[in-house]
Amino acid sequence: MSTEAERPRVRPAAIVSWLNAGWVERSAIWVVLVALLGVAALCSDAFLQPSYLFNMVRQAAPVGVAAIGVTLVMVMGGVDLSVGAVISLAAVVAAVLMDGQAGNIGYALAATLTIGAAIGFANGVLIAWNRGSPFILTLGTAVAVYGLTQIYSGGTARGIVAPGFREFFNERIGGLVPVLALLFLAAATIAALVQRTTRFGRSLYLVGSNPRAARLAGLRAARLTVTTYTLSGLLAALGGIALLARSGVSSTFAGRGFEFDALAAVVLGGTTFEGGRGGVGGTVAGLLVLFVAFNLVNILGLNYNVQRLVAGVIIIVASAAYTYLTSRRLTESRLWPSHHTSEGAP
Amino acid sequence: MKTRLTAICAALVLIVAALPLTSLAQGVEAARVQETVATARFKKAAPYRVGVAAGYLSNSWVVFCLQHIRYEAARHKEISEVLVTDAGFNPGKQVADIEDLISKNVNLILYWPVDEKAIQPALEKAVVKGIPTVNTGGGFTYSPGTVANAFIDQVVLGDMVARQLFKDMRGKGKIVAMLPIAGTTAAVDQLAALRTAMKEFSQIELLSAEYGDWNRAKAKQITENLLQRHPRIDGVFSPAGQMSIGVAEAFEEAGRLKEVVMSPGDEYNGWLKWVAKHKRGGAVTFPTRVGQEAVRLGLRILNGEPVKRGLAVPSEYISPASITRYVEPTRPDDWWASTLPEEWKPK
Amino acid sequence: MRLTDRGIYWVLATVLAAAGLIPEFRSLGNLANVATQSAALAVLALGQTFVILCGLIDLSVGQLTGLIVVLVCDVAAGRDAMTAPVLLLALGLGAGSGAITGLLNNRLRIHPLILTFGTMSVLQGIVFTYTDRSVGRAPAAIAWLADGRLLGLPVAPLLVLLLAAGAHVTLTRTRFGMHVHAVGGGRDNARRAGIDTDRVAATVFVISGVSASIGGLLVAGRLGVGYPHAGAGFELDAIVAVVLGGTSLAGGRGSVAGTVAAVLLLGLTNNVLNLLQISSFIQMLVKGLIVIGAILVNQPGGRRAFA
Repeated sequence: MSTEAERPRVRPAAIVSWLNAGWVERSAIWVVLVALLGVAALCSDAFLQPSYLFNMVRQAAPVGVAAIGVTLVMVMGGVDLSVGAVISLAAVVAAVLMDGQAGNIGYALAATLTIGAAIGFANGVLIAWNRGSPFILTLGTAVAVYGLTQIYSGGTARGIVAPGFREFFNERIGGLVPVLALLFLAAATIAALVQRTTRFGRSLYLVGSNPRAARLAGLRAARLTVTTYTLSGLLAALGGIALLARSGVSSTFAGRGFEFDALAAVVLGGTTFEGGRGGVGGTVAGLLVLFVAFNLVNILGLNYNVQRLVAGVIIIVASAAYTYLTSRRLTESRLWPSHHTSEGAP
Repeated sequence: MKTRLTAICAALVLIVAALPLTSLAQGVEAARVQETVATARFKKAAPYRVGVAAGYLSNSWVVFCLQHIRYEAARHKEISEVLVTDAGFNPGKQVADIEDLISKNVNLILYWPVDEKAIQPALEKAVVKGIPTVNTGGGFTYSPGTVANAFIDQVVLGDMVARQLFKDMRGKGKIVAMLPIAGTTAAVDQLAALRTAMKEFSQIELLSAEYGDWNRAKAKQITENLLQRHPRIDGVFSPAGQMSIGVAEAFEEAGRLKEVVMSPGDEYNGWLKWVAKHKRGGAVTFPTRVGQEAVRLGLRILNGEPVKRGLAVPSEYISPASITRYVEPTRPDDWWASTLPEEWKPK
Repeated sequence: MRLTDRGIYWVLATVLAAAGLIPEFRSLGNLANVATQSAALAVLALGQTFVILCGLIDLSVGQLTGLIVVLVCDVAAGRDAMTAPVLLLALGLGAGSGAITGLLNNRLRIHPLILTFGTMSVLQGIVFTYTDRSVGRAPAAIAWLADGRLLGLPVAPLLVLLLAAGAHVTLTRTRFGMHVHAVGGGRDNARRAGIDTDRVAATVFVISGVSASIGGLLVAGRLGVGYPHAGAGFELDAIVAVVLGGTSLAGGRGSVAGTVAAVLLLGLTNNVLNLLQISSFIQMLVKGLIVIGAILVNQPGGRRAFA
């Protein structure tokens, strides 16, 4: 709280906008989740069984862990589309380094997380220094990382998962809650706390809602950018480990498309591309909405491809709804890329 | 009531979906496979440059198949070089790759398609230039762009898997089918073979046919939902071992592995490990050595010897009892039991 | 610090000179191949040049191309009599889809990246719900357009040249072209100057949609069948080409010639790496590095997601 006194010029505005962003908006997605679960339960009583529901949380864990990182990046006004590639690379590297020996697990996980963080760090540095488009740049990183993964794996998933590794993560505590699901929820809780209570968390919102003011207020935006992308890379690597734990899959493209699922969850959860609003809590709800919807489509025996269509409509409608709800508080120019008016062309 | 309604709907959907499939999948027609190809116009003197236009190289089966190609090529002095391109599942790129190989003056093109129809025009260009083309892998293509095929007959394979499954189930019960990507030769032929075999087993009922895209994680997720939808599943038809593991895992986690009979998978090492551990299931092979046969077939064409349009590399059944001779416990799951010498196995 | 607008031509010239050392590269047949292989991407990149110059972006063109490939082949089913109807169908679909995107862009006021990302997903869903396997066959005339020859010259590259010339003239010599630059350079200023910015935005999305129509026809002609994955990834390649060609993602600055040069560069790189037998895995890494390099060298924009 002491920081607020130090930076009065920005702080009040940020608090106002944080409150303005509104309980309605932030709880809306949870209402949607409950409503959707209600509909799902009418269609199949599977959705009333706790074990099935926790199964779904476990299914969502690999994407979910990565989505936490993407949320932080997007709150800051960036975006990270390299997470799908990092998830794939992490799963491959972790499996290869384990090499079927339980004794290797610690070292394999540490090395995997380091590599993920390093890729995130590289993204952060390039974006902070060059101020290029994170959207395209991280797409480029993704292609390069897929290339690296293929060079490393030679096209086969040559790793051997150590005995005990998957058993541990898939163990059901009390015969019900898989460890993996619990770990994901724990990670989300920690991230939500960090985002609310730490200086780092508040800085994300400041930079996201008004980068120029934040810079004027003395926030080291470049350092924050690097830290946040590094965190995103680290969490994506954790997502890769979660994927390996859940399904034992470690092929080159195991995580392909996960970046889009993560992005859909984040946007659905109320974090916008403009930055400065939303947060991890909403992302968790958004993620669960997506997975309930996907599983519903699946359990009803509908065409798998309908999922993509549903995801696309959800993204557009959710974004439009948030823009509509908040439009009165925003100037017109915020809705168009900001540099058009503020940082401007000649 | 609700489940019955769902079952009826599912059955209707299946029937409708099956109509075009059955007309397509008369199996691989014996007459076309046996047809003799005149190869005199492809005859040339060594040395030969062999081009491989891979539709993709990011799965372990094709990586092993490619190693078989390289191994066989190294055994023939008349082959000077093997050039490999990878289209990464993009048929547009595979078309360009084939054109590039023609520019590179290769004498023979081995390929496995992303989409067999999409690359026919490019293959025809090669054939017109006197470069023979050999389709290598899991499908038989009868088309002017494809001079010959070294292939694994998926109808025969599907039939072997189905009959072994029905035998293990003692001829009755409800089954689900886990197939690869919808619309691929593998999926179409395997399902057709299953349905044909089912005609002789009136007490076998197919609850649902699903497409797991050769993806263990996806197969597991689909099975988790199948387990919710169907209170009783007696058997699983899953010819691809990679997916069988995901299926078996979902049954195991639901505590329903005991009730189900798993069909044979293939010689995917992860599946072989599962079979060795549980002493059930077995394997019907999908031999990676088809790559070697493709090279030999190509050389015969370049020698001007007449060949058959299709050279089928037979699948074999491996019982759970004899699985230990094939499984490699210290190797990764994503690995294939093969006849490759140790130094030629992928690194 | 950053390459000038002419940078791309120097890079292209250098790669050409280096490639000239490879004997197989120099054959006329190979050069015609490279030009023909690049044609569909070139058309899409031309459309994207309008969109990006205007300060917008269109991620939906790849899947739109896929949809057009599938529909053209399925409807035509190889019948030559269907050539004219499927041409109209393709152009109408592209223009219509572009118009809808433009309308949504103007109405919903959500950023075009997220909007077209959503429409991309929807279009992909539509394509795969329609078919998950190859369908139909392209009529001979469309195959000729994509892969044929006219007076010994490959047709598709000629078409690209024609379209590029048209795009160049439109952007540099017409009132509409001036408006595109003005809106891209600063939307509020443009509006104050009396330009109907919504109309300009809608028009460039229609142009982008039509470019997907023509690109889709070329892909359909080349593959000969309606392959549902045919358009996947085209959107990224098109954007990369535009950015490599010196058009700023912030809008307002760039050129058609740069885009065409960049498409050629990408096609050449692919061809040369293939001819040199560079592993496809390394090719993928190289492609990623090119994307990153293009952004680093070229973009002076803000730090935000869209910049």
